[in-house]
Amino acid sequence: MGLHTSLRGLLAEQRALDVTSHNVANANTQGYSRQEAQLQATDALALPTGGQLGTGIDVTAYKRIRDSFLDLQYRAQSMQVGAGTTRADGLSQAELRLAEPGDNGIAARLSSFWSSWADLANAPDSGAAKQALIENARTLASSVNALDSGLAGVSTQSADELTAITATGGELQQIGKELAGLNGAIRDTERVGGQPNDLLDRRDVLLDRLSQLAQVSVADNGAGSIRVTVGGAGAPLVDGSALTWPPPAMTSPGGKLGALMDLSSPTGTIASYRGDLANFAQALTTQVNAVYNPAAGVDFLAYNAGTATLTVNPAVTAANVRAGGGAAGDNSAALALSELRGRSGGPDDLYSRLVTRIGTEVADARRGEQNATALSESIEDRRQSTAGVSLDEEMTNLIRFQRGYQAAARAMTTTDTLLDTLINRTGRVGL
Amino acid sequence: MSTPRITSSMISRSTLADLNDVATRITDTQRKMSTGKQLTRPSDDPFAVGRALGLHTEVDGLVQYQRNSADGESWTAASDTALGTLTDIAQRGRELLVRGANGTATAGERAVVADEIDQLIEAAKQTANSQQGGRSLFAGTATDVKPYAAGSDVYAGDGGDVVRSIGPGVAVVVNVRASDILGSGGGDGKMLSVLRDVSAHLRGGTSADQAALGGGDIAAVDRSIDDLLGARAHIGAVANRLSAADDRLAELEGGARELLSKTEDADMASTLIDYSMQQSVYQSALKAGAGIVQSSLLDFLR
Repeated sequence: MGLHTSLRGLLAEQRALDVTSHNVANANTQGYSRQEAQLQATDALALPTGGQLGTGIDVTAYKRIRDSFLDLQYRAQSMQVGAGTTRADGLSQAELRLAEPGDNGIAARLSSFWSSWADLANAPDSGAAKQALIENARTLASSVNALDSGLAGVSTQSADELTAITATGGELQQIGKELAGLNGAIRDTERVGGQPNDLLDRRDVLLDRLSQLAQVSVADNGAGSIRVTVGGAGAPLVDGSALTWPPPAMTSPGGKLGALMDLSSPTGTIASYRGDLANFAQALTTQVNAVYNPAAGVDFLAYNAGTATLTVNPAVTAANVRAGGGAAGDNSAALALSELRGRSGGPDDLYSRLVTRIGTEVADARRGEQNATALSESIEDRRQSTAGVSLDEEMTNLIRFQRGYQAAARAMTTTDTLLDTLINRTGRVGL
Repeated sequence: MSTPRITSSMISRSTLADLNDVATRITDTQRKMSTGKQLTRPSDDPFAVGRALGLHTEVDGLVQYQRNSADGESWTAASDTALGTLTDIAQRGRELLVRGANGTATAGERAVVADEIDQLIEAAKQTANSQQGGRSLFAGTATDVKPYAAGSDVYAGDGGDVVRSIGPGVAVVVNVRASDILGSGGGDGKMLSVLRDVSAHLRGGTSADQAALGGGDIAAVDRSIDDLLGARAHIGAVANRLSAADDRLAELEGGARELLSKTEDADMASTLIDYSMQQSVYQSALKAGAGIVQSSLLDFLR
């Protein structure tokens, strides 16, 4: 009787020590929830004389300590982080292409362009001034075109990344497959009464990752299996152990996918920057031509809205570019063109507005990213506060269970000594 | 849960996040120090960048206006010199006229004077053909044309104004046309036609010629001299206006540059203070992190 009680004690403490070791081993495992051996006194033995005699202890469960409400909060925020980071990165790329403020940006090129007209106005018949004007105009045009293709590049990059994630074999399918597999494994384990704590952790990590990509909603199918819907789609991506592929169409993707869709969309943010740039190029062309060529003869600049390319009219050369109407010293056109510099509502204004707009939106995106990150970190802290492994606590437990084990062993020794007295030293009179 | 559990991963994560945060700020400050600029990207301060772009445009415009004005000044200076020469020629013509008009002069003497006047006319035309940087000064906008061809008194230039822009919408006419001071084709009472008349009257020798020399011609030459003086005064006024504009533009440029520097450049003193403060925060964050992350109950159990 006593020996068995002690044995149960020894075994239980050993289990508890095992759990502690498992916790310590996984202290740095991503998504690991600490576990606890739940100890309970075994059923007591009712004595015929009345009263109950305790029979020891048993491990009833290995509990996984986690707050699923915090998981929900974390995932909602994690979606914002995914969206904010992707958007801020994409827009920053666009901002870098501007190269403003600096000597290589369009603002500086535009300024040189106006100065070239003014220099030509001072020397209307100078071949050097005309050559410089044509060169500066070409440089301006190629900077505008380079910025446009740079912005288009950011869009393309985002589209590629989007495809890489959502294509067959991409991250989304990978996560979906694993989730479906885990659903099956968890259901099977629970069916036979097991506690698949580590599988549940793994599944939560996958859901965390998925929530960075898009908005995720999780419903319980019972029996340990879940149904996961992504991006507000009409049908679940993963239902139990079944994966729907290709994924059901998302209506409100959110997260990284949402941001990538916006960046790559022909109606998205980058596209609207390109639209503003096209307006600028168009206005520049129209305003310059209206002054240079009031009678609709040979234009100075040409803008092709279809291919979004700005060019100096190839028919205009240093030999035939005009500073004015007829006489060699007539600088009326060049003078009027140089006056376009800095005009309110003019090209400088339009460009400066585009720069301010991009700057503001990048700053907003960065702020959004920082806020989302700070919030998700604070939720992660709360999550870790509940589910994380505290080494100090585990060390304390280690001592506690070790001592418990020692004490149970001592109790067993005591019982053994009692039995020794009874068996070996009793009834030995005369031996 | 009155006291939140603090777990190992929380500590290392928050230490890392804080270190990252401080490191990012130090990098920003370093960038400010190494570039000397407060604004390196539009998102640093979108509206300040917008303003900086506007100020750059303004500064570039002001520099250009000064260049225009300097060009105009060289034009007026050359014109003034040429007009001075023309005035000297007219004065000399008047002296000769007075000598020739003297009743005691013989026909031979008058012919000599008339010859010199003819030379003066050629000199005046040559002076009116002066160029500045390969451009005719007195031919209007037909700067590639000489106002007077050899053997003709007809003005070959046009009536255009040579204009320099010295401010937004401020255009200054910096030229004088030869047709206004020397005349074109004769019979217009301008200097060339007056001198031609004088030469003819000197050679003529009739009493009517003599009377014209003594009376109307002197008045006509005086009017030509007045025309020249008037043109010189005008050019002088334009030159003054240009040089005043130059000074004003330089002042405006200085002001705009100062504003630009305030908008765009980093304040080195405060940037350096920021830097050393962030540096010390970084050091202490590192120290605190090292202390907390390293120690645990493990260190005290045996």
